[in-house]
Amino acid sequence: MQVFLQTLIGGITFGAVYALVAMGFSIVYRTMGLVNFAHGSVVMIGAYAASTFYMATRLPFAVAMVVAIVVTGLIGLVIERFLRPLENKDFTLMLIGTIGFGAVLEALAILIWGATGHAVPNPVATEPINLGGVRIPTYSLLVIGVAAVATTMLALFLRRTKLGAAMQAVAMDHEAATACGIHVGRSNALSFGIGAGLAAVAGSLIGPMLYVNPTMGGTLGIKGFAAAMLGGFGSMPGAIVGGMAFGLLDAFAAGNFQAYSELVTFVVFALAVMIRPTGIFGEATVNRA
Amino acid sequence: MKLTIVAVTLVALTACAPPGEDSGSGQKTEGPIKVANINAQSGQLSSLGKWENKGVKLAVDEANKAGGVNGRQVQLDLFDDQGDPTVGTNLARKISADGYVAMLGTAESAVTLAMAPILKTAKIPNITSGQSPKLADLKSPFLFLNAPTSVTFDETLAKYLVDEKASKKIALISNNGAYGSGEHDAFLKSLKQRNVTPVADEVVTPEQKDFNSNLAKIRQQNPEVLFIGAEEVQSGLIAKQARELGLKAVFAGGAPMGTDVYATTAGLANAEGSVVSSPYLSNEASPAIKEFAAKYKAVYGEEARLHVAKAYDGASIMIEALKQTGGEGGQKLADAIRGVKRDGLLGQYNYDESGVGIHETKIGLVKEGKAVPAAAS
Amino acid sequence: MLYLAPAAVAAWLLPYGLGGYTMHVVDVAVIFAVLAIGLGLTMGVAGQINLAQVAFFGIGAYTVAILTTKTGLGFWPAAVLAVVASIVAGLLVGIPALRMQSHYLGIVTLGLALGFINWVTNAEIAGRAEGISDIPVPPLFGIDLSSGYLYYYLELVVFVLALAFALFVTRSPLGRRLRAMRDDDLAAGALGAEIPLLRMTAFVLSGLYGGIAGVLYAGLIQFVAPETFNIGNMFLLLAMVIIGGRASVIGCVVGALGLAFVREALLDVSAFAQLGYGVIVVLVVVFFPKGLAGLPAQVFRRKRAERPRLSPFIPYDEAPAVEAQTVLEIDQITKRFKGLIALQDISLSVPAGQIRGIVGPNGSGKTTLFNVISGFYTPTAGRVRLAGTFVTGAAPYRLSLKGVARTFQNLRLFEDLTVRDNILVAADRTRTSWIWRYLALPWTVSTYDRGLRSRADDVLGRFGLTGFADVVPRSLPYGIQRRIEIARAMAMRPSLLLLDEPAAGLNGDEVRQLAEIVRSIRDSGVTVVVIEHNMGLVMSLCDHVTVLSGGRVIADGTPDEVAVDPRVVEAYLGDSMAAPTEDDTDREAEHEHADR
Repeated sequence: MQVFLQTLIGGITFGAVYALVAMGFSIVYRTMGLVNFAHGSVVMIGAYAASTFYMATRLPFAVAMVVAIVVTGLIGLVIERFLRPLENKDFTLMLIGTIGFGAVLEALAILIWGATGHAVPNPVATEPINLGGVRIPTYSLLVIGVAAVATTMLALFLRRTKLGAAMQAVAMDHEAATACGIHVGRSNALSFGIGAGLAAVAGSLIGPMLYVNPTMGGTLGIKGFAAAMLGGFGSMPGAIVGGMAFGLLDAFAAGNFQAYSELVTFVVFALAVMIRPTGIFGEATVNRA
Repeated sequence: MKLTIVAVTLVALTACAPPGEDSGSGQKTEGPIKVANINAQSGQLSSLGKWENKGVKLAVDEANKAGGVNGRQVQLDLFDDQGDPTVGTNLARKISADGYVAMLGTAESAVTLAMAPILKTAKIPNITSGQSPKLADLKSPFLFLNAPTSVTFDETLAKYLVDEKASKKIALISNNGAYGSGEHDAFLKSLKQRNVTPVADEVVTPEQKDFNSNLAKIRQQNPEVLFIGAEEVQSGLIAKQARELGLKAVFAGGAPMGTDVYATTAGLANAEGSVVSSPYLSNEASPAIKEFAAKYKAVYGEEARLHVAKAYDGASIMIEALKQTGGEGGQKLADAIRGVKRDGLLGQYNYDESGVGIHETKIGLVKEGKAVPAAAS
Repeated sequence: MLYLAPAAVAAWLLPYGLGGYTMHVVDVAVIFAVLAIGLGLTMGVAGQINLAQVAFFGIGAYTVAILTTKTGLGFWPAAVLAVVASIVAGLLVGIPALRMQSHYLGIVTLGLALGFINWVTNAEIAGRAEGISDIPVPPLFGIDLSSGYLYYYLELVVFVLALAFALFVTRSPLGRRLRAMRDDDLAAGALGAEIPLLRMTAFVLSGLYGGIAGVLYAGLIQFVAPETFNIGNMFLLLAMVIIGGRASVIGCVVGALGLAFVREALLDVSAFAQLGYGVIVVLVVVFFPKGLAGLPAQVFRRKRAERPRLSPFIPYDEAPAVEAQTVLEIDQITKRFKGLIALQDISLSVPAGQIRGIVGPNGSGKTTLFNVISGFYTPTAGRVRLAGTFVTGAAPYRLSLKGVARTFQNLRLFEDLTVRDNILVAADRTRTSWIWRYLALPWTVSTYDRGLRSRADDVLGRFGLTGFADVVPRSLPYGIQRRIEIARAMAMRPSLLLLDEPAAGLNGDEVRQLAEIVRSIRDSGVTVVVIEHNMGLVMSLCDHVTVLSGGRVIADGTPDEVAVDPRVVEAYLGDSMAAPTEDDTDREAEHEHADR
């Protein structure tokens, strides 16, 4: 039972990070039909930006996070500008184009920060909370908390503000939205910026949990993408549930199947997606068959 | 279809007259001596590759400044294997075609293993930084290790933990990569010889980041010692999460645990007291090492470490052997390397028939992020 | 074929000018070229996103390694088993393709590839992380294949065969069907292409090429380790195919060889190389989406001296009158979508040789009815009978082979196929299982294809499209595209033709021509059902009209009877008399639920 609960804690913590990554994938996809495979590398840049700033200035971690959001937001805008001709077009081209961008970001990170990477000190270095033998690191609570706040803010933005409503409209119907006088280009850029900002949140949170290096984006990207798909690509609740599900799947596979965990995780994922191709919440836009 | 028929006939023809078969591998006796350094400069383990290269370069530059090998300069060329054995085999063929007499690297056993048969055929001696026991198992007369194998690391560790400290409840966690599985097998074997059965034996993947599940299982056994068989960063993550889970066990492991990367990833407090088995414990261990560390810092502006030191040792041995053969490679160079007795940074080099030069490691304890010899504590 | 001769001679003489190491690099590049052909066939030709190609490669190489070193099997028997193993893997990985496409398929195949890597890193039999060394050199009549030069010739032979087979497949009826499926799988299904089987075929080809490449790799390197089959190499392979031009087999080969050499040249400046490689990929994708293969066409834009003109339609021969028989009978059809009732208790029967008009306001269920008849939707209740046999719920390709042809409201021509190929896809009436002949009796395929071509030429001539035979439909005016779609449907030699708003977007002249064509089609013995909003055309063309409103039949009779029916007038008034030109609701329904 203790093992079960402890596994649950680890799974939820990583699930929260996957959920943030998955939301970044989904928000871009639903507004512009673009699958951004550079997203993992944007997460990595976010992690570098936050950790470098935090370690250099000793300012509060929250400030570092804001800096990281600004940096990646700008990168997001650049990527969007470049790939605009591909939006809503051929999937294969987007796939390889954004992979190309990912390679560029990774190479830049190596040139700027070196290949070695660095460890990031824990900003809330306190003893873990002990609940009847199950230990919950305080940083895990911070991660879950920040993820929850980011999700709520995003939901409020999409529901309650005019800009958010415009983005929703573009997600539902490109042409109709244009007809209503919504600036689709701006809305796309905004969603890309938000997606990149979410990547920065995920990246800065994961920095102190792991170790920041240029290749960290690869696995995070693939797993975040798979999580988005599991939940229903383009759906925000789907991204959260999918992220959590993938985190838990990962954690329990590691405990029960040891070194074969990756094989088990991906086979289970493939089966789940086969049984329900549209994910738990169903895909938000675009038809697929 | 016509094409194929033509092609087939032509293939039959070439069987008699193979094109360009003998690529001039004739030994030159003047001009620079070409030595290749092959290491990952990109990809997951490129940090290792970069350190290795710095160490090698330091040794070669010193030798060249001191007049080179019998008046000839050593030309050191760096090649990037990207951590990929296929690229490694390509490079092995490349250096043999381009007239390199010797090869230094790589830091990854899998890559070196892939290259070994080709280098053996081409008679190019290779001093590798890999430490997988499988390298020694090859018994290739052209393959030399600049450090002990995992067997030595883990035998020393087991001796210290079981024989000296009388630990009985030992748990294992290791990854299934080339390094991690080598460590796992070697340590397990050493424990078996001492009739100790580990209380837990968890295997993870090199990509894994969350060890809550594995560590919770280990915690149930309440071990005195947790053996960690993984690279620097992952060892650090495991140590960090283990302490967060309230695991009290002493951490023990090979060379990665003596590094600052391990200590900072785990957090200095969590890494405190970790037991390290390594031939190179710290930059202050001996006057020679102190001198080397100072020299290294002056050139590269960073602290020296095991990977740098063993690459430096390997390159120095190679240069010494080259001096004996007068820059000649092949069997003669291999024999010369085997004959080198060097008091190196890692210890006494004394090569045996399996290409292992160092046969012992020292035990250190991590104090404030730095490994210090166990005797001194 | 002519341009291949100098290439072959150059390939033949190449080793004489190369050093030992360069030879080895070429050997590796050729292996990647074989892999790229496989990926090009699956992804570029058949449109199946396959990120597991590198795993098929791995399965081929590992099978050889395991069988030769652990069981002592000879190299060549092991090679055969290895190719079989990769094909089986292709079939397994292909199963998800039956349920999902595009990025879904991409991530699932990628996940399975990661699973494969994970397995070989763990399995004792696969040598774990350190891999398997000492794979024997393949024996070949005493030729020493450990020499990179001689191995090259072995590779060259295999490569030429692989390339020839790939070119043969792409240019054959199968290749056309695969490309049609890539461009529009719904339309391809309606033209008789068995989509599930075709998708599996694509993955089998993928496995075949992956396996062959794996065998060559094992023989060349004599060592396998998990790292070689990692995601990085998969992306490299993907970049080769995209940069080369994925729809062109030759393009894939050029891309693979090119990138393999570039990678080799930049080996020593890796960080900058990665930067440059990323930038090039982005630029190619944005500016040259068709890759190097599309470059000549992009640079030398075809100077069209004069635009060919549409020739007049040559009427069909009138068929002798047959005794009146019911061709299509619909019995109490109901179709619901998540609570929305699109069709309710629709019954109608169409006798042979009739032109039946189906009219009704927007959202009255006309296109849904067509989708039920042509097999895109399975009705919630009710039955469909075709010339007396029940066909309710049969797949579109089956109905197509039974003689049901249809056009689509919003034109579903295969955009990247020429007009002739569009017609040829329809003219091909074989089942997909016929493809065993590709391996066993390739010459019969050529004979069959010649027959198809002459039939297609007939159709093109009859519809006055000969001048446009070799252009892609996208570049043609809308009116001509409409005519191509009808020609394509008629190339199937159907007994029942369903036309969904054939006059939408046509000018007066074109509408007159359309009426003439449809009458001639009817006179040739084909029964026609037409959805149309142009009431003038309906009145003059149709023998009988059925009016739908709100998913029900509200009137049924001759055009004159229906026009004065008060319920019809009311239904149209309710729709504010706007002579509708687009049926948005129907189109949406088609998008949303077109899942077959």
